[in-house]
Amino acid sequence: MHKALLLIVIPLLSYGFWLSEEFKGIAAGVSIFLFGMLSLEQGFKAFTGGVLERILQKTTDTTWKSFGFGFLSASLMQSSSLVSVITISFLSAGLLDLVAGIGIVFGSNLGTTTGAWLIAGLGLKINIAAYAMPMLVFGVLCLFQNGKQLKGIGYILTGLGFLLLGIHYMKESFEHFESAINLAEYAMPGVKGLLIYTALGIIATIIMQSSHATMLLTITAVSVHQITYDNALALAIGANVGTTVTAIIAALGANVQGKRLAGSHLLINLSTGIFALIFIKQFGIAVDIISAKLGIADTDNALKLATFHSLFNLTGIILFFPFINQQVTLLERIFIEKRPAIFKPIYLDPSAMDFPETVVESVRLESIHLYENAIHIILHTFGLHKRDLQKNDSLKQLIDQNTQPIEYDIDASYEKRIKGIYSAIIAFISQAGFTWEMTQSSRLSWLREANKHLVEAIKDTKHLQKNWGRARSSTNQIRIDEYNKIAYQIVLHIQKIETFRHKIAGNELPLLSLDTLKASIKNDDMQMNRAIETLIRERKISPETGSSLINDSAYMRSIKKDLLKAAETLFLHRNIGDADVEDQLSLNETEINDVVHTMDTQ
Amino acid sequence: MKIEKLLHKLQAFFDTEKHKKRQHIEELKRILLKLKKKERKITYILQQTDDDCLTKHYQTELEIIRVQRKKGIEVLQQLNERKKN
Repeated sequence: MHKALLLIVIPLLSYGFWLSEEFKGIAAGVSIFLFGMLSLEQGFKAFTGGVLERILQKTTDTTWKSFGFGFLSASLMQSSSLVSVITISFLSAGLLDLVAGIGIVFGSNLGTTTGAWLIAGLGLKINIAAYAMPMLVFGVLCLFQNGKQLKGIGYILTGLGFLLLGIHYMKESFEHFESAINLAEYAMPGVKGLLIYTALGIIATIIMQSSHATMLLTITAVSVHQITYDNALALAIGANVGTTVTAIIAALGANVQGKRLAGSHLLINLSTGIFALIFIKQFGIAVDIISAKLGIADTDNALKLATFHSLFNLTGIILFFPFINQQVTLLERIFIEKRPAIFKPIYLDPSAMDFPETVVESVRLESIHLYENAIHIILHTFGLHKRDLQKNDSLKQLIDQNTQPIEYDIDASYEKRIKGIYSAIIAFISQAGFTWEMTQSSRLSWLREANKHLVEAIKDTKHLQKNWGRARSSTNQIRIDEYNKIAYQIVLHIQKIETFRHKIAGNELPLLSLDTLKASIKNDDMQMNRAIETLIRERKISPETGSSLINDSAYMRSIKKDLLKAAETLFLHRNIGDADVEDQLSLNETEINDVVHTMDTQ
Repeated sequence: MKIEKLLHKLQAFFDTEKHKKRQHIEELKRILLKLKKKERKITYILQQTDDDCLTKHYQTELEIIRVQRKKGIEVLQQLNERKKN
């Protein structure tokens, strides 16, 4: 929620709580319910890639199987809305696709009609809220266990418990309004009666948070002739529409897929309801015929209502089930997934394809574009901007003084700033083909490698980010200092690469400057590891912190190496200025190692 | 004698191989000079720096420049010897 909106909502809610106890109960019920949804989603996520995914895949790989899955679950749970809510969390966790989800909704719509048969035939009343407390107890017990799957089960059980508890609170608070609904008061014939009773069915189901409860109320009322049979049919239609509200509430906390499913549930039940209202007379006749065949007495309005409930839901399925794919298209148009603005390639013009040199130069420029974005991500991870690189002496201060937690989503930035450009570069290189001279081919191959190094550098930064973030909130100042040192060394390296770029522009022996950067990487790594060993020996940090620091200094080394390799390919033209002579003086690997070793022994 | 010497010099000037060698030596000298200037500059910056990481970086840079210069002087000596022969 937008922060400004939150500032309005909180005082409004507080005022509402002060005004009405019932309102407080309903709001608390909705909150507990939504918390249950989050917990359920978290639980299902623990099973992604595991048993649950395989079971779901096998039971929902065709729409008919999804339908069966929905029918069985709703029949067992006696609640179509609970099945929809769980399906929404499956969808949000990425365990199901929308087509399978809609199949389940269709199935649950039919499954829930078994409730009317149970009530009318056996007088059964299943109170699912009674399961909330044991679920919460067992759920919390599982949450305290170590295993990932046990924790997942814990989240699922507490999630279900909170869902039911939330429904219970909503029901309790609505009781005040429930007493105001006296069905007999509104008994009326004709179209007007039909519409009013449908609306009453919707309202009653929203209030009681259960179509099952509305059906119980309706069947009881019709069996004691408190309401007419026609009005009872309208109430059943209303209950079917009203039951979708639970899924809509659940979708508030879900992602776009969840919202699409809730939309589908509403669409199916509303369309079926409208269809049933239009053809109510025909439905009445059909119910009479079927009831006669089933041996139901003409006066047994309760069982006839159960027949109607099943019949009109079945009609809805027959009418709309074949159009699942069209529904998906429609819902995808209504609920558009918000994607972050993605950076697009600037230099990859198809016209450049005609000439080998222009292809190479286009790819090089685009790779520099990618390099700039990669640097942006790395600097932002450490709470810095590119402009900070110009503040020569204060870089360390900037890192040390920034004690605020830095919440930077590298994955989202990767999707936004890197993936599109990187994919375009790879596609461009592949399209260019390798029909030209070897020079161009090998240069393209080097450029591809440079891009790969940039992506690797971002991946390593992501690994590093986790421990760096943790260390910053630590109470051990030495640990904080060591991690800040890692961040500083990476940023300093980026700054030196920028200086190297300027040296190329000013022809200030760029090739020879590379040797210093290469030696610095080795030197810093050696110094860092030695410092960590000393800190462990002197018991200033724990061995666990020490091992994390050693791993993370390895990431630091990889990031620096990858950035330098990319920069060398992207910025250095070996055919300009004094490049040949510079090449003669530049140091090889052994000579650089000797320098590092000499410095180390000094 | 004078004409002979002049002709000799002209011949050497127009000899591409020799010309290239001479150019190479000149370039090498220029780079060595640049490196020397850079060494002085870094020594000065190093004296002004109190940051540990930067100090280490400049020390490394100085050491690298020293080795590069040493290598360059050796190459220059070899080239000069070849030129004499």
